[in-house]
Amino acid sequence: MSYATKSPWVIHYDGSSCNGCDIEVLAALCPGYDVERFGIINTGNPKHADIFLVTGSINEQNISVVQEIYNQMVEPKVVIACGICACSAGIFHDCYNVIGGVDKAIPVDVYAPGCAVRPEAIIDAVVQGLAILDEKSKALKAQKKGA
Amino acid sequence: MTILAVLIGTLIFAVLAPILGCLLAGLDRKISARMQGRVGPPLLQPYYDVRKLIEKDDVAVNGTERVYIICALVFTLIAGGIFVSGGNLLMCIFVLTLGALFFILAAYCTSSPYAQVGASRETLQVMSYEPMVLFMAVAFFMAVQAILGMGSFDVRAVLYLDVPVITNIWLVFLGFLFVLTIKLRKSPFDLSYSHHAHQEIVKGVTTEMSGKTLAMVEVMHWCENVLFMLWVALFFVWGNPASIILALVVVAVVYFFEIWIDNNFARVKWQTMLTSAWVVALVAGGINIAFLAYL
Amino acid sequence: MATLGMLWFLILFPLVVAVVLLAVRNNQARNVIVVASAIVIGLASLFLVAANLGVDYWKPIPMASPLVVDIICMVLGVAIAAVILYFGIKYKNTLACVLAAVQVVGSLVFELMFAHNVEVTECLYLDSLSLLMAFIIGIVGSGICVYALGYMEDFQAHQPEGAKDRRPVFFALMFVFLSAMFVIIFSNNMMWMFTGWEVTTVCSFLLIGYTRTEESLNNAFRQIVMNLIGGIAFLVALYVMAIEMGTLSLLEFLQLGIMYPEMVALPACALALAGITKAAQMPFHTWLLGAMVAPTPTSALLHSSTMVKAGVFLLIKLAPIFYLSQIPSVMVILVGGITFVLCSFMAISQSNAKRVLAYSTIANLGLIVACAGVGTPEAVWAACFLILFHAIAKSLLFLCVGTAEHHIGSRDIEDMDQLFQRMPKLARFMMLGIMVMFIAPFGMLIAKWATLVSFVEMRQVALIVMLAFGSAATFFFWGKWLGKLSAIAAEPDNVELSVHKSEWGSLLLMVVLAILSCACLPLISQAVVDPYIQSVYGTRAADIQFTNQLLAALLAIVVIIVLFAGVGKQNKSKQAQVYLAGYSANNEQRVFKNSLSGTTEATMRNWYLEGIFGETRIRPVGEWVCGIIIAAAIIISAFGTSVIF
Repeated sequence: MSYATKSPWVIHYDGSSCNGCDIEVLAALCPGYDVERFGIINTGNPKHADIFLVTGSINEQNISVVQEIYNQMVEPKVVIACGICACSAGIFHDCYNVIGGVDKAIPVDVYAPGCAVRPEAIIDAVVQGLAILDEKSKALKAQKKGA
Repeated sequence: MTILAVLIGTLIFAVLAPILGCLLAGLDRKISARMQGRVGPPLLQPYYDVRKLIEKDDVAVNGTERVYIICALVFTLIAGGIFVSGGNLLMCIFVLTLGALFFILAAYCTSSPYAQVGASRETLQVMSYEPMVLFMAVAFFMAVQAILGMGSFDVRAVLYLDVPVITNIWLVFLGFLFVLTIKLRKSPFDLSYSHHAHQEIVKGVTTEMSGKTLAMVEVMHWCENVLFMLWVALFFVWGNPASIILALVVVAVVYFFEIWIDNNFARVKWQTMLTSAWVVALVAGGINIAFLAYL
Repeated sequence: MATLGMLWFLILFPLVVAVVLLAVRNNQARNVIVVASAIVIGLASLFLVAANLGVDYWKPIPMASPLVVDIICMVLGVAIAAVILYFGIKYKNTLACVLAAVQVVGSLVFELMFAHNVEVTECLYLDSLSLLMAFIIGIVGSGICVYALGYMEDFQAHQPEGAKDRRPVFFALMFVFLSAMFVIIFSNNMMWMFTGWEVTTVCSFLLIGYTRTEESLNNAFRQIVMNLIGGIAFLVALYVMAIEMGTLSLLEFLQLGIMYPEMVALPACALALAGITKAAQMPFHTWLLGAMVAPTPTSALLHSSTMVKAGVFLLIKLAPIFYLSQIPSVMVILVGGITFVLCSFMAISQSNAKRVLAYSTIANLGLIVACAGVGTPEAVWAACFLILFHAIAKSLLFLCVGTAEHHIGSRDIEDMDQLFQRMPKLARFMMLGIMVMFIAPFGMLIAKWATLVSFVEMRQVALIVMLAFGSAATFFFWGKWLGKLSAIAAEPDNVELSVHKSEWGSLLLMVVLAILSCACLPLISQAVVDPYIQSVYGTRAADIQFTNQLLAALLAIVVIIVLFAGVGKQNKSKQAQVYLAGYSANNEQRVFKNSLSGTTEATMRNWYLEGIFGETRIRPVGEWVCGIIIAAAIIISAFGTSVIF
């Protein structure tokens, strides 16, 4: 196991969520779920974060923002779409300026559906994301050695 | 030869301080979590964080930032080395300030709006605590003079004392505790850079730092914290070896107290920080030093 | 005899150069003359220092006062008054005329009635402090003269079409200034010193008013009025010395002062007042701020190596008297300490680089003055180093600001964003200068450290408090300036390619001096400053252990290497963008998309904390308090405590 899995720092971005999922993301950090047990910290800074939690769908307005934040994150990194809007744009899928789920903007590693997404589902998704993070971390290490 | 002693002290400090500092930071997070009714991360979480940061990809805004951070770390270690080798307390303070300056420059050099706001706040924080820190050194000198009959800024002088310096300068100690909150970057004085999530200037000073650079910043903070705790211990150590136990107890109490403050107070505005720190310095430092000088 | 010749050479040679420069109108010829004579003066002062290194006694040069010199002094006194009266009448400044008249009458009466009865057998002397000053004046001062060549060429080009080229006068005045400074530091005869003193006053009057604009004339008159007050105080001291003590020798005055500290209270106070006005202490600090309107080489000369240094030189000479005599000591300590802390505060609120430098100069001079007032060997040790490092770092900074001003079109610190890339070499020089001014392990802070220790040992609680708060403010205003300089963003154009060679030459000289002085601090202490302490107090100052000095020097070298070799390079890390909340429009230029679908450039302004450290709040306090202290000290020393109680 690489150390990346022991200290996954997250950044949370609200695309165009109704705030339902956002509240659940924050709830996961509160005493009831206390994800800091697993070393998870909400950093709010892409340069420090390993996991990108996106809530809400992607639209014409925010697609560049999501992409820029993703690009500014340092490898290895994992993207988790939180809530059905982030997965597939949900009930907003045919709104005039909605493009779709987060995967329309950036590669998504884990989908956590729900309306709103449950904290348990978020934690589950992060744990799945950790496995991917571990793989990416090892790949990066191998690449560094090769280089 | 003092230079050699400082060199050896720096090496010892460079080995021990990160270990102790890491544990202290882990304990800090654990206790904070308990105060908030949470379980909290494992004790070694800060260590995992730093190892992870070292594993991250090598990315930087410019090539200069890391040079400044390396300087900041090295000078912090040298400051610790000066203290550990029993050297001059003022020199220790000055070299630590040099480290702080390089930390500030690292943030400024990125030209990032968030980092620069953090850097100017950090500069303000240095201005806020500097008088009290100088008073601490001066009061230490005078207290040693009052006890031994001959003043000294040398840290090793405490080994020759019959009573700890706190007996003469408890008021300065209280003032020092006040600015210690600023130095430890604890709320209510975590203006430039907070370990709490979601603040208006992102991560302040460290916004643009990532990977190894950020890892070095973390290690630097551990070392700083250990050095500050050594300063606290300085007030309570005298010629008797048993005093070290007392000093350790006091350090533990002081650190717990700082965590408690961190968790119970909301951040203040810079005006409040500057004026309160200066008033405390003037009252606590000024009065105590005047007493020592004239009585 | 060789030494005597050297001293006379240093005094007379710049005068000869000045006369020649006055006649030369050709730029090329002037460049050659100035560079050559600057090198000669520099080498001569170096030679003098080398030949007398480690002299730990007062080295008198036996020479009776030749009558011709006395007559020259008198003629000069009248000429100075005539110059001031001419300008005073021309520009209708009554106060300056009155003061000049008082002074010329006073000095004529003094010379014709009293001075003849007093014979000074050793008119010139030499000790290690004079050597230190000679080094500063000879090297730094003449370096500034060389710098002025390129600067004044640009300056003249910026003048409106058809403006009269008065550069011959300008350069002549610069060299007269150097000569007058040499007179001040080598004269044992106080009459001669007084003449040198007045020459520097009138030279700086003419240099400040160089552009003849209304602003510069106003400031020039403010300077002359304040310094004439100091000059009259000097004259009062001379009267008292001649009439009551029967001597005009500085050495004898100091010896008498140490034996009878009560007796010399009045002349010591009067001389201290003269020193305080010249060193631009509160309430007289405004003349130095006003002097900023002059071309930058003038500011550099006034601030670093000459003029203000004459004031603190005199005060340090008097330090043994302050050590024993209470009234002048209290006055000097308080004025210096208050000036230090308040001017450091006011520097925070300034964005004009030259004003920041001016306030910092006044503050540091305040510290030197306070050290002189304390008067212990340790305090004097600190004061000597403060003078040395301040002279070097300040001239470096002034020259940097001057060059930057001509190439970025502003002397405002806010316009120095990314100077690190726009003028890479200059920005590093400026950063070095700033670091030398305020941070350990560089010279200024080592000197401040010694200052703190000496204050602690003398139990000067008020001074300790002032030093602590003043130093904290110092960190803030230098730190934010340093931050401005160090910022790196998109690759802007390099604008320093057109800097004159002569400017680079002087800048490099100052940088080398700054590096050497920091790295050789322990050596300078052993070779120059300790011997001076030995010659005055018969002991050595041991505030900062030799090993700590060594440690500081080592650390300083490390920082300098980092500054010139470590930073500004590309490393192998991948290039990253800065965080602009995801809304970059042009990340290189720090431009983001704003809420109106337009774009905005993210820029950072510095903090000035106007509400706390503004000039309007602090200045009146300092002026009143210091003014009252000076007035009270002089009244008490003149009439005894009976007037008050």
